[in-house]
Amino acid sequence: MNKTEEILSTANKLRWKIGENFHDSILESIYKDASEISGKVVTKISEKPKFDLDRFIDRIVTGRWTGFPIMFLLLALVFWLTIIGANIPSAWISFILVDTLHPLLKNFMNSIQIPWWITGLLIDGAYLAAAWVISVMLPPMAIFFPMFTLLEDFGYLPRVAFNMDNLYRRVGAHGKQALTMSMGFGCNAAGVIATRIIDSPRERIIAIITNNFSLCNGRWPTQILIATIFIGGTVPAYLAGIASAGAVVAIAILGVVFSLIVSWGLSKSVLKGEASAFSLELPPYRPPRLLQTLYTSLIDRTIFVLWRAVVFAVPAGLVIWLVANVDISGISIAEYFIRGVDPFAFFIGLNGVIIFAYVIAIPANEIVIPTVLMLTVLTTKMTLGAGAGVMFELDSTAATANILHAGGWTVLTGINLMLFSLLHNPCSTTIYTIYKETKSLKWTMISTFLPIAMGLIICFFFTQIWRLIAG
Amino acid sequence: MNPLTSLIAGIFSIIVLLIIFLPEVGIITRWKRMRKDRSRERIEDALKHLYDCEYKSVDCSLNSISGSLSLSGEKTAQVISSLEAMNLITSHENKISLTPEGRSYALRIIRIHRLWERHLADNTSIQETDWHSVAEQKEHETSREEADRLAASLGNPLIDPHGDPIPSITGEIPEREGITLNNLENGIFAAIIHIEDEPREVYAQLSAMGLYPGMQIYLLENSKDKIRFEADGEECLLAPILASNITVVPISEKEQVKEKFQLLSSLKMNQAAMIVGISKAMRGQQRRRLLDFGVVPGTIVRTQLESLSGDPTGYEIRGATIALRRNQSDLIYIKQVD
Repeated sequence: MNKTEEILSTANKLRWKIGENFHDSILESIYKDASEISGKVVTKISEKPKFDLDRFIDRIVTGRWTGFPIMFLLLALVFWLTIIGANIPSAWISFILVDTLHPLLKNFMNSIQIPWWITGLLIDGAYLAAAWVISVMLPPMAIFFPMFTLLEDFGYLPRVAFNMDNLYRRVGAHGKQALTMSMGFGCNAAGVIATRIIDSPRERIIAIITNNFSLCNGRWPTQILIATIFIGGTVPAYLAGIASAGAVVAIAILGVVFSLIVSWGLSKSVLKGEASAFSLELPPYRPPRLLQTLYTSLIDRTIFVLWRAVVFAVPAGLVIWLVANVDISGISIAEYFIRGVDPFAFFIGLNGVIIFAYVIAIPANEIVIPTVLMLTVLTTKMTLGAGAGVMFELDSTAATANILHAGGWTVLTGINLMLFSLLHNPCSTTIYTIYKETKSLKWTMISTFLPIAMGLIICFFFTQIWRLIAG
Repeated sequence: MNPLTSLIAGIFSIIVLLIIFLPEVGIITRWKRMRKDRSRERIEDALKHLYDCEYKSVDCSLNSISGSLSLSGEKTAQVISSLEAMNLITSHENKISLTPEGRSYALRIIRIHRLWERHLADNTSIQETDWHSVAEQKEHETSREEADRLAASLGNPLIDPHGDPIPSITGEIPEREGITLNNLENGIFAAIIHIEDEPREVYAQLSAMGLYPGMQIYLLENSKDKIRFEADGEECLLAPILASNITVVPISEKEQVKEKFQLLSSLKMNQAAMIVGISKAMRGQQRRRLLDFGVVPGTIVRTQLESLSGDPTGYEIRGATIALRRNQSDLIYIKQVD
């Protein structure tokens, strides 16, 4: 025993003498040995090829005049293909699941004498919500993710991070956040998962929290619809298309600006205590493996995210049907809530229907507009749609506009909804994913409540200033 | 309600919320700070100060304690008497000294303080100038067991980021060595072993000059009003009063590094150089990451790619292209090769 203690104390004393550098020295000697061995046993073809393709591509994609245009063109192309390409399969799936299968199931349930409320709960509530989420979410994701993965596999995306790093360094973030943010335009949950590529703890949490500021797939249709009705409606007809498209792009850019501002704020405040270590490897280019990419992006990203979304959408469907159908002395729960929230909603330039829709449609941004329409019809006692608690959408924008105008919506409501759609809590799938990725209640809470607080404050001030100017 | 009224009410409530909840200066933080029992903190800080005097072999008086704790003479006398009552110090005439119990208590607090500083430097992105004040808070809130766990997770470090030795669990600490920079003679090579972290303003100035423990310097001129020296190849100028905050040890002939090092950031496009070292200012995870990439002395690097805005830069290191930011390549030393 005495001997052991003696050895230990000698060892401790020696540690003071060795100093702190020995870790470095050990690594240095490992590398030295390794390169000596490899020098002996590895035969290298000494002559370098005259034309290095990698360097050539690098010079173009990081070039002063070519870098940014290539980046914007590629990303714009990916988004354009996603939005345009998703319309057809979306309409197709929607036709099967919503227009055909839904009435069929309902008739079947009626024909075997199932009580109406069970049919309503299961078919109009749970089934319809799940069907809606699948038809809106699946096609864009199935197009966007494989294209994005192909760019990644080819080796282009690390170069985007390389080019964008200067901007992100200034706000205390990592250049790779440009990638996770782009991924967030497809789906925030997938964007949050994608932050795994950032291996520095502080920068990763920043990327996770700010991912929600990327306007996701589920919110693009809302933005486009509202912009067409309210922004397009305020300008002459020949400018309507440009104006509404411009408004949507402005909101998306506003999201990017917010993500930078919030990144900066977070790195200066709550995230001061987290470690930060920058590293970025620029792998060699290689031809993308098409089939493998298609498979992994479909299984790992699309199906995975879709499954989580459906799991959350089903209970939401039940709740949506219940609040619209359970009455207390002749008035539904939804109406009670909407009337209660209306005075508060007035201050932030929204209305009770929108607030309530955002509360019960937390599982998926895709069902916000159908829920808003259903609730507006419910509260204004219109005879449109398919009955209480049954979400619906209309084929014509003009008919949708009629419902919203009847619900008391103004241009201010429209703009505020666009702002609030950008700045509100992430959907429950994303919240759950954030918890899974960070394993921390604190970061999950911040990611959830920071955007909603920002949304309320910005809508409030925007509304007051608008009313002040408009008189 | 009138929009103007709500606008003003909105701005007003945001200001009120900020005043209440703002970290560090908000009412809640101030209130918590006020309510906190400071007597333990004072006792521990006084012990630390006494130990510091002992370590530097200078005499310690009531005045110096009250100065270091920024307390009134009356309150300091209270602290001293409670320390005496706890049998942690003894006082003879005007000289106060630690009892063995007091010394081991002081060493424990110093250990916790320096472990925290090491942790803050290696594992967080908290600013260098804030390490000391954060550790000053944490040292009173950390139990012995927590400190041991912290030490284990840091790999039982020996010195804190300022170059001070960290006492071991049993309270062992090596003898103080070295001389202050203002006592170094002309034409001598030396290594910085310690930079005093108090007062904060002086430390901020020294760290802004890029000085760090482990840095090699060469004294060019030591006169009454200025001290001129070369640090990692760059000439620095200090007032003697500032230089007294730096402790150095002269280094032997064979360790001496006479040539000027270049920084990796100064390497031009498509040029190659050999790495000779990584600055001590590169710490923790960041340093390990670089070592993992093969950034060790002897490795050849080549500047390969410049990003759109000039920062970061892509370097060819052991067959891979690694992008490094300028604040990283500023801390890597290279030597030209043919």
